[in-house]
Amino acid sequence: MTAADVYAILPLIVLGGASVVVLLGIAVHRSHSLTLILTLTGLVAAFLLLPLVSIEAPRQVTPLLVIDSYSIFFSGLIIAASFIITVLSYSYLSQQRGHREEFYLFLLLATLGSVVLVASTHFASFFLGLEVLSVSLYTLIAYSRKEYGIEAGVKYLILAGLSSAFLLFGMALVYSELGTMKLAQIPTSLSNPSSGVSQVFVLGGLALIVVGIGFKLALVPFHLWTPDVYQGAPAPVTAFVATISKGAMFALLLRYFTVVNIHNYPSLYLAFVVIAIASMFIGNLLGLLQTKLKRLLAYSSISHLGYLLVAFLASGPLAAVAVAFYLVTYFVTTLGAFGLITIMSNSDRDAEDPEDYRGLFWRKPWIAGSFTAMLLSLAGVPLTAGFVGKFYLVTAGIGSALWLLVIVLVVTSGIGLYYYLRVVVAMFASLPKGSTIAPAMRISPHFTGALAVTILVLLLFWLGIYPTPILRLIESMVTGFS
Amino acid sequence: MVPLSYYLMLSAVMFFLGVLGVMLRRNAIIIFMSLELMFNAANLAFVAFALYYHSLSGQIFVFFVMTVAAAEVAVGLALIVAIFRTKHSINVDQLSSLKG
Amino acid sequence: MLGLLWLIPVIPLIGFILLAIIGPRLSRTAVAIIGVGSVGISAILAILVAISFISSPPAGNAFTQTLWTWINVTNFNPGISFYLDSLSMIMVLVVTFVGFVIHLYSAEHMLHQEGYSRFFAYMNLFVGSMLILVLANNLLLLYLGWEGVGLCSYLLIGFWYTNPANGRAARKAFIVTRVGDAAMAIGLFLLFNNLATLNIQDVMQRAAQTWQIGSPLAVTAAALLLGGAVGKSAQLPLQTWLPDAMAGPSPVSALIHAATMVTAGVYLIARTHVLFSLAPSVQLAVAIVGAATLLLAGFSALTQWDIKRVLAYSTISQIGYMFLALGVGAWSAAIFHFMTHAFFKALLFLAAGVVIDAMNDEHNMFKMGGLRTQLPLTFWTFLIGSSALSALPLITSGFYSKDLILFDAYASPSGSTWLWLAGLVGAFLTSIYTFRMVFLTFFGKPKTKAVYQPGSRINLALIVLAAFALLIGFLETPSFLGNINVLGNFLSASLPATSILPQRAGSEGILELVSAVISLVGIYLAYLLFLRVPKTTEAMVQSPVGAVLHRYWFSGWGFDWLYDTVLVRPFVWMANSNKNDFIDLLYKGIIRLNEALHRVLSNTENGLVRWYATGIAIGAVIIIAIVVFL
Repeated sequence: MTAADVYAILPLIVLGGASVVVLLGIAVHRSHSLTLILTLTGLVAAFLLLPLVSIEAPRQVTPLLVIDSYSIFFSGLIIAASFIITVLSYSYLSQQRGHREEFYLFLLLATLGSVVLVASTHFASFFLGLEVLSVSLYTLIAYSRKEYGIEAGVKYLILAGLSSAFLLFGMALVYSELGTMKLAQIPTSLSNPSSGVSQVFVLGGLALIVVGIGFKLALVPFHLWTPDVYQGAPAPVTAFVATISKGAMFALLLRYFTVVNIHNYPSLYLAFVVIAIASMFIGNLLGLLQTKLKRLLAYSSISHLGYLLVAFLASGPLAAVAVAFYLVTYFVTTLGAFGLITIMSNSDRDAEDPEDYRGLFWRKPWIAGSFTAMLLSLAGVPLTAGFVGKFYLVTAGIGSALWLLVIVLVVTSGIGLYYYLRVVVAMFASLPKGSTIAPAMRISPHFTGALAVTILVLLLFWLGIYPTPILRLIESMVTGFS
Repeated sequence: MVPLSYYLMLSAVMFFLGVLGVMLRRNAIIIFMSLELMFNAANLAFVAFALYYHSLSGQIFVFFVMTVAAAEVAVGLALIVAIFRTKHSINVDQLSSLKG
Repeated sequence: MLGLLWLIPVIPLIGFILLAIIGPRLSRTAVAIIGVGSVGISAILAILVAISFISSPPAGNAFTQTLWTWINVTNFNPGISFYLDSLSMIMVLVVTFVGFVIHLYSAEHMLHQEGYSRFFAYMNLFVGSMLILVLANNLLLLYLGWEGVGLCSYLLIGFWYTNPANGRAARKAFIVTRVGDAAMAIGLFLLFNNLATLNIQDVMQRAAQTWQIGSPLAVTAAALLLGGAVGKSAQLPLQTWLPDAMAGPSPVSALIHAATMVTAGVYLIARTHVLFSLAPSVQLAVAIVGAATLLLAGFSALTQWDIKRVLAYSTISQIGYMFLALGVGAWSAAIFHFMTHAFFKALLFLAAGVVIDAMNDEHNMFKMGGLRTQLPLTFWTFLIGSSALSALPLITSGFYSKDLILFDAYASPSGSTWLWLAGLVGAFLTSIYTFRMVFLTFFGKPKTKAVYQPGSRINLALIVLAAFALLIGFLETPSFLGNINVLGNFLSASLPATSILPQRAGSEGILELVSAVISLVGIYLAYLLFLRVPKTTEAMVQSPVGAVLHRYWFSGWGFDWLYDTVLVRPFVWMANSNKNDFIDLLYKGIIRLNEALHRVLSNTENGLVRWYATGIAIGAVIIIAIVVFL
């Protein structure tokens, strides 16, 4: 490793260092705001290093990581989202009793794991990044130590462990045939007939890797955990699971299966088509009559990842741009939705029941208005970020003539519209006479949380009306990775 | 010299037993043990083929896996203690209040 | 200076956002400052831009300002970009200036109404949308503005939403215009599909290159656009919504349903005139629609007792003149009449608003009378507006613009004596119903005492508009009266000049004389019928023939009844009787199916972690099976 290598991975080092500093900081002096400041400083420092590092890009740092504009873009997205989640967590934890500081430690570690994932070019960094992310998430999900939290934590632990085992066994199968764990060598070893490689074992291994990835992305049929974990976890952690964890994994998926050109393996391609269609249908159908808001968003996220697969399966220059832009809009919208749940939650429970938002508009017009914007964006209504994102997905799909997938996307979006609008209608419904005001409507939002949500709402409209700058950025960064 | 395919078969059998364990057992600790079994099934394959290919990377990877597995179990046991405090049981079937 | 163009629509939109967000917490003064000020700034900017546009014309006499491209995929790249040429310049000037005056008026007129900030928020949104409509350089942005003004029209007609009748009127306006909008949307798709661009200027250029005159595609596209224009501008057969739209406050009627929005159809046809030149049959249809509408609406206006409904029918009729002009290729005459009409009709509506307020919300002209002395300023301004509307010779703007249309309808190659005659009869009707209104309201014995006197802001608004209603006509005068051609020359950069048949060119003086006489005779007749011998008039209405005619005219020729009988009732009947047929079962079946699937799938989310693990394992088996064995 040369000095230039170390320089290239400075953002990762800063994130790791920040978690050590936070750990020591807690040991020396336990203070919620101090920990917050240390965490935010670490995140900002890592973010600001990204443009400096990009001068060195693309650079292969050991066989494990590559620092190219693709990984830098997604690292930036992850760190920015992590910043928002940290701010929301502060707002959330201020309501809670007990030790709050270690939360930030795990947030930083989970962020580090995600950043490793997007830069991974080797099974080892894939597995380690994934596990750093997962193990941090187990603790974050169960952090409140309330009954629901622990239940969700145990479920996530067992199922994530199971899927990691599948992933690991898949890696072992690929290794057993190809003798390498470097991503770049997989296609060359595969195409070299003299190696006596058995396609069956490699494909089986890749299928098991898809299982591991599919679990993290909550794609059907690996989606069953999603609503329970979403519901049981504290709202900011749910936001993390929904956005950063999935975004990082999707970036990895796109990189791996672009290098291992998925179009060369029709059966693997078919598997993804089946997964995409099933995710779009089942995600939206599960959401149809759901009343608990966090579970609803869980089902919605299943279908959204299905939509993303449409662009993933479309090849061509537009596909990567569509995926990246859709992820950006999905991050903004989902963070906004969970941010709003966060600022409405109190120390006892998260605001997610129907009575928490029925008639919300007449009590808290701001929150209801912002929520409406987020839900409309999830539904893909024009002038919101979600519309432009979905437009690019459809365009990418049509560009590659994936008619079946595009039709399914459109039809299931129609189903999805129903349950988003159901929530919107409920928020604008008049309050029943003499009803007690739900506790969620009585709390006054914490300043930091409200600020974060306001920024997200502005971003939502900015991306919906004036997406050009971010599209230019994405076009210059995510196309053509080594 | 044991043929290479035997390792792979043993590893597959271990993996399959592990999956069955997770699916069928109710005791959380046994489920964790089954997970460990699955991890180690993969480890076995890695070590065997590392030897075959004369490459160190497979062996080093196994150390990573063992470390990670230890971390998972550490967190997992902490969570089991927490469940036991509220439910006085470590039967995972009792963890079903989140559903629908 | 031209660089400021984008601010013209943006500032009213900022005003809207401010009022929508913090409006309810502001004082009425602050609301008025934001609401009126934003449109005022916009008007000032429009004037600055106009000065710069005229003094140093940009290359090609058109200026395009692209702010950004919204989405950019192959040839679908709608930009947020504005196109300023002499046509849109005139529209912008009229919209902002008349808009500003009406806002000023509203600041006082609406002062004691509930929802003051809501009113100004909608009005600002309307002005912003209207400016986007006229400035849009691509079809998608134009459509955004088109729908935006439609939305504001709906919201403002139903402004007093607690009265269900107002809600019904708002819905009617929305639904009837939607019929036209649907046609227009299909037309826009057709244009984009065949010409592969959204940019309006490119569309026109490519249309002229690829389509022959009278080619089926050009005819279809023009006809569909005409459908949109007819809906928005309340022309036959979609005119029925406008009289009911008078349920909104008077400034709304002035701004939206007289001066600006309803003329969007005229603008659309003028903007896409190349397309209409390629489809002579559709252009003839435009002329016929205009002529028929102006006559029908003129007769209806004769019989109304509600002062605002008279003005509404009059608006339909005057827009009919504009369509007539468009139909005979007199593009700049149509725009000229749009300008003069914007000023004098806004003036009439605003003055009528004062009258209604002074009569304690009484709309019935037969219960008014003698207001001349009680509301002198309102009387004089109303009189000026009425003179302009009835094209009183020489001194009013309406005379110059309407007679230009009549002359062109006669003398242009696509004109005819019949079209001219229709316009002439319409002019006669116009002066009768206009002065009927003046005599009933302001002359005769006072029947009700005025309970209210307008304040300074309203008076200022009336005076300014009255001045313009008189003066603006001198932008374009006939050859024997100074032959001023300021407007025509200015517009010649974006609209082709009107061609005149040489053998008919000399008749201009005679025609002017005829219509001047007609106008004066009409006024005298109104004086006779409604001031001197109202008893005779009453008897005429009571006579068998008179009663039938009166009933038909009063109800707008029974169009509401016709549509109700032919369309609405059968539709409702069909919908009711088919409530449970198999087609409906299909939709219900889809819902049931979805719900059933939802329930089945929900059962999989049973909360049991071992079941979830089994799910993953089964999924893994399926994926492996697909990957390995297929």
